[in-house]
Amino acid sequence: MFTLSEDAVRQVQKTYYSSIGPMISKGAKAEKFAHDFIQEVEHSSDLKRQLEQSQRERDRFKLIASRVRELEGENNELRSALLFQKQTEFDVIASRVIRRQPHIWNSTIEINRGAGEGMGVSLCVLASNGGLVGRVSLPGDNASSVLLITDEESQVPARVEGTPEVGLIVGQRTAHGESPKLRLTYLSKNAILKKGMNVYTDGRGKLFPANIPIGTIDEFEAGPVYGDAEITPAVDFNNLKTVFVITDVTGD
Amino acid sequence: MLSYIISLIGLLLLSCIVQQFLPPIAPWYGARVLVLPLVVLCGSATVSTAGMLVLAFLGGFLWDAQHIIQHPTLNPTVFAPPSDSLKFGYSIILYAFMGFLMQGIRPMFQEGKWYLSAGLTGVAIFLYLFAEHLLRSFVRGSLDFDNGIINQIGMTSLFTMLASPVVFWMLYRIADLCGHEISD
Repeated sequence: MFTLSEDAVRQVQKTYYSSIGPMISKGAKAEKFAHDFIQEVEHSSDLKRQLEQSQRERDRFKLIASRVRELEGENNELRSALLFQKQTEFDVIASRVIRRQPHIWNSTIEINRGAGEGMGVSLCVLASNGGLVGRVSLPGDNASSVLLITDEESQVPARVEGTPEVGLIVGQRTAHGESPKLRLTYLSKNAILKKGMNVYTDGRGKLFPANIPIGTIDEFEAGPVYGDAEITPAVDFNNLKTVFVITDVTGD
Repeated sequence: MLSYIISLIGLLLLSCIVQQFLPPIAPWYGARVLVLPLVVLCGSATVSTAGMLVLAFLGGFLWDAQHIIQHPTLNPTVFAPPSDSLKFGYSIILYAFMGFLMQGIRPMFQEGKWYLSAGLTGVAIFLYLFAEHLLRSFVRGSLDFDNGIINQIGMTSLFTMLASPVVFWMLYRIADLCGHEISD
């Protein structure tokens, strides 16, 4: 072996390399693949960590955003309540809704003002948008019960804006969670009413002051004697938080 | 016996307070657990007819005190006649009917088959709410029924019935303390 010529050695080497060449090339590819794979795994676990961290941060931001939205809503509610209290022509006491629907059948709420703070039977209750909510049905010492106009036992004398039509607003029973509807009854059967017309209190009976928004007409149905109209309330009864009790009610 | 009845009355008053803090279960058609009627019903199964009538009277009285809405005197030329609401005290009659229903299977309750009485509380609550709704609709001149009402009544009866074993357990404990014999 030690006596082989240079050419022979070269030939041997050439043969050697030509035989292992493909394996080296495949090996290099495999090495690259393995290297890439390891890098990928490292990268993936890094990405996973980053993803988990991002998810945690996203959850935290979601929580903050929801709290901000909540505070924003509360702020808007309080701002409009303050504005309403400044602008309204009535003497009002702002009250917080502390309980909703304590009764099985009746639509009532409880507010955090009692007889000691000027609450009395039948005082008119408004929402911060000025819409009619109901009337105080039972003033307690520290809290009062309010019968909503959406209750079947509630009656509100009302008029339709721009027409001579007057009638009585009564509540309609709706399934739990549904938006409540009102019914304007005792209208003349030939009344010409269009969807979207505004309905206000008319002050008759001296239970509610005149010109308080109640809602808008949805649909009119002429009966054999009277006409009835379905009314969408001006107040969002499902989201009542602050209400105003009129303490100087005089009616017409 | 007297100390047991007095304890039952105390439990009835306590249930009035508890009832105030039980909100409707919104996902289940606004169903409620009616603690006060449940105490009357379960109590009715553990006392004599006279005791049951006392419970029915007090339960109905307290229930109406919580729920009846009084209307002010309204101008009849403007408002429709306020005949469309039930009078204070109607619940006493309904509670007494439910009490008689519970008394009907009292012998089985005394034999230790409390689960039959527990099941009957659900039926009695359903009948009570159904009758109450019928009465309220009737005095208003219309009998409206929809799935929403049936579901609400049904779910309320179910949830109230599920709470009845707890009330029976309490009644057994009170009876033990008062030396009152519930079972034979």
